[in-house]
Amino acid sequence: MRRGVRANLPEVARTAVGIVLGLVSSPLAAQAPWLAPGAQAIGVFTQQNPIPGGGSLGEARLVQPVAMIEAGWGRLTLTATADVEGLTIPNGELTIGAYGEGFVDRRHPHTYVHELILAAHDVLGRADGPASLSLALGKGFAPFGPDDPMSRPVERYPVNHHLAQILERALVGAGVRVGPALLEAALFNGDEPENPSEWPKVSRVGDSWSARLTVSPLRGVEWEASLARVHSPEQRGGAGPDQSKWNTSARYQGSDGAAQWYGLLSIARTSEANGAFVFQSQAAEGSVTLGRHTPYLRIERTERPEEERTTDPFRTVRPLLESSILGVTRWTIFTAGYGYDLRPRGPLAVRPFGEVSYARIAKVGSGLFDPQTTYGRTFSWTLSVGVAVRWKMTGHRMGHYLDDRAMSGMAGMRGM
Amino acid sequence: MAAPPPPGDSTPALVATVNIPPYYGIHDTYVRDGIAFVCAWDSGVIIFDVGNGIMGGTPAAPVRVSSIVTAGGEVHNAWWFHNPVTGEKRYLFVGQEGPGSIGSSSSGDLHVVDVSDLGNPKEVGFFHIAGAGPHNFWMDETGQILYAAYYNAGVVALDVSDTLAGDLSARGIDTIAPGGAGNTYVWGVQRVGGSLYALDMLSGLWRLGASSGHFATGGGGNNVPERYGSDLWVSNGYAYTGTWGFAQRTTGVVGNALKVWRLDSLGAPALVDSIITAGIVTVSDVEVSADGKLLMFSTEGGSGSGFYFYSLADPAHPAFRGQYLVSTGVHTATFGYIGGKVYAFGAKDPSGPELVILDVTALDR
Repeated sequence: MRRGVRANLPEVARTAVGIVLGLVSSPLAAQAPWLAPGAQAIGVFTQQNPIPGGGSLGEARLVQPVAMIEAGWGRLTLTATADVEGLTIPNGELTIGAYGEGFVDRRHPHTYVHELILAAHDVLGRADGPASLSLALGKGFAPFGPDDPMSRPVERYPVNHHLAQILERALVGAGVRVGPALLEAALFNGDEPENPSEWPKVSRVGDSWSARLTVSPLRGVEWEASLARVHSPEQRGGAGPDQSKWNTSARYQGSDGAAQWYGLLSIARTSEANGAFVFQSQAAEGSVTLGRHTPYLRIERTERPEEERTTDPFRTVRPLLESSILGVTRWTIFTAGYGYDLRPRGPLAVRPFGEVSYARIAKVGSGLFDPQTTYGRTFSWTLSVGVAVRWKMTGHRMGHYLDDRAMSGMAGMRGM
Repeated sequence: MAAPPPPGDSTPALVATVNIPPYYGIHDTYVRDGIAFVCAWDSGVIIFDVGNGIMGGTPAAPVRVSSIVTAGGEVHNAWWFHNPVTGEKRYLFVGQEGPGSIGSSSSGDLHVVDVSDLGNPKEVGFFHIAGAGPHNFWMDETGQILYAAYYNAGVVALDVSDTLAGDLSARGIDTIAPGGAGNTYVWGVQRVGGSLYALDMLSGLWRLGASSGHFATGGGGNNVPERYGSDLWVSNGYAYTGTWGFAQRTTGVVGNALKVWRLDSLGAPALVDSIITAGIVTVSDVEVSADGKLLMFSTEGGSGSGFYFYSLADPAHPAFRGQYLVSTGVHTATFGYIGGKVYAFGAKDPSGPELVILDVTALDR
C-alpha cells in the first residue's frame, strides 16, 4: 500500500499543478495578474446616555482600522484583510445594544486576520454549460445574510450583527452562478472567536453549514435568502446549544445621474437550543449621495439575549458555564447621520460624519433581566462624530468570495 | 459584617487538582464513601476513587473509575442513594440542567443511573416535567424519597423505593411552588426533621411541611427583596443562604451576601446576621461540615472568587477562618470525609476547569 502511494505521488503532483495552471490560464489567459490594495480607519467620538449602571460616558476611539489586499490571477482570487481593532479597541467600541463574543453594550473587536480566502472561479470552464462553479477555502465570512456592517454607510453597528452575519470562520465553500442567480454554500467551524488573536478551531470545521441564494434580477437590485445551522457558537469546546438561522434581505444600489441611492431591508431569525430561545430582527437602512453630501438613516428592531455579566458591566461571562440566559430584550433604534466628502474623487476618501441614535429597550417575555434596573431607564441617546478615511475601499463589500464576478478584478465586490 | 484578616492557621492546604474536560466543565461534586461523582456537563458523570479503595485513589491522587454521559448530557448535580431499607447503594440520581431563562423557565430531566458496578454505570430511568428542569437534590433516604429543587416548577417529591426503571412519572408524590406562579424559581432544598427548607431565587427562604413526600405551606418567603437567592444549608438550628448577582435585583447590589437565619420548627425563618464578601458577584454554594463546626461557601464573579470558611462556634454569628481564592471562580463546593480528615471538593470554573481538593481539617475545629 505504501509503495503504491509513493508511486502515485508524482501523478498527484502533476494533476495538482495541472489544475493550478488551468485555473490561471485559459480561457482568461489574457488577463494579467492583478492586485488591489485598500485600507480604512474611522476616528470617532461617541457619547452614550445611559450606560449600564446608569449615567453617561463619552469615548474617542479608532475603529474599523483595516488593511486589505485582493489579488487575482486567471481564475484564482485571494482576499486578505487585517483588522487591528484588537489594538485600538481591546475593550470594544461603546455601542449600546451591541452584544457578542463576551461583550455587551460594546461592539467586540474583530480578529486580526479578518479574512484570508483563496478562491477559484469557473473551475469547470465550459463543462458546466451556462453555469459557473466557484470554490473557496480559508478564513472569512460564511455565505449568510447581507453585507457586513463595515461595508455599509452607518458607522454604528446594528444590534443584529450576530443574527445576520456569520464571520471569521474557517470555511470551505462552493458557489454556482446561473445567469442572475448565485447559490453559495459552505461548511465551517461553529465557534466564534473569543479574542482578536484567536484562530478558528480547525477540528470543528464541518460541524456547521450555511447556504445563500442571491438573485439579481435588475441592475443594482439584489435579493438574498440564507439558511444556516451553527453548532455551539458560544462555547469553543462544542458543549453549547446550536443555532438555526435564516435571513432574507433586499438591496438596491444605483444612480440616477444626480444622486447615488442605496437601500437595504433585512429580516433575520435565530432559534437557539431547539427553540428554547428565539431572536428576531427587522432592519431598514438607506442613504443618498448628492455631490459631497450623504445623509443616511437606519431603523432597526432586534431582540438580543441577556447574558450573565461580570463585574465589568460591559462584559459577559466567558467561557460559558451553562446554557441559560437572563432573558431577552428588544431594541428599537432609530439612527440618522450625515457625511460630507472632503475628497469626492480619487482613491483617498475623507468623510467627516455625525450620527445620532435613539433607542427604546423593552423586556421580551419573562426572565430576571430588567432594563430599568440595568440602565435606570428604558430609552437611550447616542451621539457620534468622527472622520472616516478610506483608501481604495469605498464601496467594498466583504464576504462574496464565491461570486465568479470577483475574478475579473473586483467586479461585484465594489458596491457603494 | 465584612471578612477580617485571616488568623494564622487559616489557609486551607491544596492537596490535588484534577483537570476536567471543558465541555462546559465541572458543575458539582458528590462525595461519599471515598467516591467522588464529578458532574461535568457534556462529559457526563466522572467517577473517581478518592479514598474508597477500589482503585487505590486518595484525595491527593484521585483515580478515575469510570464515567457515563446520561441522555442529553448537561450533567449538573448528583446524589448517590444509600438505601437503608434495602442496604443497596445502587442508584445515582443525576440532574440535567438544560437551557432556560433564569427566573422563569428551565429544562432538563432527572436521570437514574445504576452504579451497583461503579466501573460500569448504566442509565436505567428518568423523570421529566414539561417546561421545567431540576437543580439541586436532597434525600430522605430512610423514607426513600427524593426531593428535587425544580426551578420554575418549585419542589418535587419522588418515591424512589424498590426497583427504578424507565419513565418515573408515576413516582411523583407531590409538588409545590412556594412563591406561587411567576414568583418561584427554586435553587435548593434540604430536609431537616419534619421540615423541608427551600431557597427560591425569587421568593427567598421557605420552611415547608414535608410528610412522606406531601408538602404543606409553612413559614417564611419573600424575605430577600434586594437580591436573588442561591444555595442553602441548614445546621445547628440555623439556615445559611447565599445570594446570586449575575443579574441585579437592585441597581448596584450584587450577590455578595450570605445570610444567617434562626429557625424554629413552627415559625418563619428570622434573619439574624449576614456576611458580605468583597470582590464577588455570587455566593454559588453553601455547606456546613457534618460536625456543625465549619461553614463553607464558594463564590464567583470577581477578584474575591474562591472558597470561604467560617467557624460556627457561635452559629448565629459565623467567624472568619480562612479562604482559598480561585481566579476563575468556584461554582460549587462540598465536604468529603476521608481517612479521618475533612476535605473540600470544589468545581473550578473555566478556563481550565478543575476539581480542586483542599485539606480543611485544621479549620474544622
